[in-house]
Amino acid sequence: MTKPKISTDWMAGCSGCHMSLLDIDERLLEIAELTDIRATPITDLKEPDESGVDVGILEGGINNSSNEEVAHRMRSRCKILVAFGDCAVFGGVPALRNMCGTEEALKRAYVEAESNDDQGFIPSDPELAVMSNVRALHEVVPVDLHVPGCPPDPDVIYYVLKELAEGRMPEIKDEKLHWH
Amino acid sequence: MVNLTINGKQIEVTEGTTVLNAARQNGIKIPTLCDHPHLTPYGGCRLCMVEIKGMRVPMAACTMPASNGMIVETDTPALKKSRNVVLSLLFSERNHFCPFCQVSGGDCELQNAAYDEEMTHWPMQPQWTNFPVDTSHPYFILDNNRCILCRRCIRACAEMSGNFTLGVEERGAATVVIADTNVPLGQSTCVSCGSCVQVCPTGALIDRQSTYLGHEKNLTVTRSICRGCSLGCGILVHTRDNHIVKITGDYENENAGTLCKTGRFLALNEQRTRLTTPLKRVAGQLTATSWDDALATLAEKFSASKDKVAAVASTRLSVEALSTFKSLFADGLQAKQITSVEEGRPTALQSMVADQLGEAIEGKLDTLRTADCVLLVGVDLTTTHEVAGFYIKRNLPKGTRLIIIDPNENGMDGLANINLKPRAGTDAAVFSAIEAVIVKEGLARSAVDENIVSLKSALAVCELNVQDVTDAARMLAEAVAPIIVYGKGLTASGNPGAMEALVRLANVIGASDSERKGLLSVKGESNSLAAALLGLVDQLEVKDEAVYVAVGDDFVSKRLASKLEKVPYLVVQASYESALTERADIVLPVNIWAEESGYVLNAEGRLQFASAAVTAPEGIRSNVDVLKDVARKLGVTVNDDWRAALTKRTSVVELEM
Repeated sequence: MTKPKISTDWMAGCSGCHMSLLDIDERLLEIAELTDIRATPITDLKEPDESGVDVGILEGGINNSSNEEVAHRMRSRCKILVAFGDCAVFGGVPALRNMCGTEEALKRAYVEAESNDDQGFIPSDPELAVMSNVRALHEVVPVDLHVPGCPPDPDVIYYVLKELAEGRMPEIKDEKLHWH
Repeated sequence: MVNLTINGKQIEVTEGTTVLNAARQNGIKIPTLCDHPHLTPYGGCRLCMVEIKGMRVPMAACTMPASNGMIVETDTPALKKSRNVVLSLLFSERNHFCPFCQVSGGDCELQNAAYDEEMTHWPMQPQWTNFPVDTSHPYFILDNNRCILCRRCIRACAEMSGNFTLGVEERGAATVVIADTNVPLGQSTCVSCGSCVQVCPTGALIDRQSTYLGHEKNLTVTRSICRGCSLGCGILVHTRDNHIVKITGDYENENAGTLCKTGRFLALNEQRTRLTTPLKRVAGQLTATSWDDALATLAEKFSASKDKVAAVASTRLSVEALSTFKSLFADGLQAKQITSVEEGRPTALQSMVADQLGEAIEGKLDTLRTADCVLLVGVDLTTTHEVAGFYIKRNLPKGTRLIIIDPNENGMDGLANINLKPRAGTDAAVFSAIEAVIVKEGLARSAVDENIVSLKSALAVCELNVQDVTDAARMLAEAVAPIIVYGKGLTASGNPGAMEALVRLANVIGASDSERKGLLSVKGESNSLAAALLGLVDQLEVKDEAVYVAVGDDFVSKRLASKLEKVPYLVVQASYESALTERADIVLPVNIWAEESGYVLNAEGRLQFASAAVTAPEGIRSNVDVLKDVARKLGVTVNDDWRAALTKRTSVVELEM
């Protein structure tokens, strides 16, 4: 049996879930043994193989057209898609801006923020991704497994990776189920 | 009895039991959210839906009474799916993002319910509407964004405190919890009892004092008794690292979880400066000294002025401390004066009547629960003994009548059916006037004294209107279970005539007879009754005595401070700095209520043990220990048998100890 290929990426999140992933410490070696770790934000390869991977893991909510692209690309190239952490699962902290609307949030950050001078303006370069309401991953593409947590506990991450590596679907319940 | 089957298990329950409670009694768990064991079932959240054979649709177990032959299923795949949908809808309604909520991580019933259903995500996303957050209240915050509209807070406000401040506005998904007519909570009729916070299943109502200081799992809970007043409500003291995080009502005590502002919030809002070391006046200045030196200095002084000693104790002290105090100063030192800070104002008069009659004249607090007419005399239950006021207020919508006799403005005036505002100090005449009407109209329930005062002369004294008095008399006479609740406004006068007239009135209206005692005084502080039983009820009159004041953690009244302003020698046993410690010659630092265990005897004679929840800073001693240390230095043996000391005289209410 060939080792399952795993690829990860991050979107509108804080990268804390990936930090928590690194917190599985020496067990990373075990996962690296059991799987073929492909593109991740912390490896050199930046995009999941066009030929496809077995497991795609996405951190963060979907906040703009760029995130959408990342989500669709991962979905189209992986067999099992994992929503990794509260932002991917629910929208999380970035989604709180939905309460006031994107325009308001941008104005607050780029124009009204205390650290800005009076020249502050909202960036409008056409090259920039188009912003949207923040959405959970499953609102944009179908998701196979939700691993909530802010961030998910390293032990839960290890359990999930180990199960996936060995060809089983993890069951997130009881002491493994925490939304933050 | 009713027989039913739940999940294949044969169950027998009493008639009127809901399916939910039938399941609970038999260890079958049905998930709930809006249900609270101490509130009336509401049936709002739809999480407790069960399948009942023969019923077209699932039914809410919390409101469905069990009936004979019922066959109930609580855990079918269809019900699991339904619970998942119910929770999804709840999450989608508001902002239930957990990471920044204070109850997330164990204390949120909504989150726990989702975990129980193994929900890893919300199938429906929130609707992103902002709901109001009310931060105007000094003790808690209402965040409608976290509210699931279970109405527990609204039910608690009505059923626990009888205050009816909380309600809802709008309908459907736009529904929000509001105070009064949608005014900020801090400016509403809220009495800050905090029952709403205690029952809230989510983070919609969180109390400011304990927020983010730890989850329930991090806290140690000590079951104790509130020392705020003589009602002695049961409390749970939640502590962490020797720090009191919060106080909640004990559902298993008589108060069934209800507390007032004093018990729940004020006890943790201490602003006074703590005394941490014994102090001695040296060259006009209070200076820190050792316990040994402080005790030796005061012992020398008290030994020298033996016939000129007076002693005053706070009625907040434990029964043990009060008894030791009495034994030390009355029996040991034969002090010229020995009394309490209350000087018997809330207790002496009725104690005297009980003594004369040789039997208890008062009844128990639970008589209030069933009373259909309450006569309130000389006490404002919105400023003291608030929980007794809650017991009355919560029954008013059920038709319980309220008559108030109070020459002063009373916080409950607006709720009363009849307000009698007599001339101050004429209570006896008011009672006689009511009695006269009852007798004249032939409504008396007991043998009538021939020599009653005439209505006309009584009215002339109290200056009340004949119609009001007649209405009150008829209302009282018509009641099936009337009760008279009275307080310091009546007893502080020290007029035995008023008390006798009140006892007579209680008999005439049938409030008190051989089976039922519908007469109740709220008394004063925590151990007011115990102090009365120990005879600490005299008026304090001091001139040139050496005075020992055991204040404990009590507040020092202006009245007491001014009485002791000029005494030649003053020893103060206290937890906090006050006007008294400022002018004291010796100050002995002692524990506060939460730092020492001890018994309290509440207004209805129920003896309860209050357990220490935290330990005192080093160098501070317990009230009993300090009194015993003083006794040792003075060479006096104190009697430890406080139970015997309490039963030396007739109690105004039957003791349960």
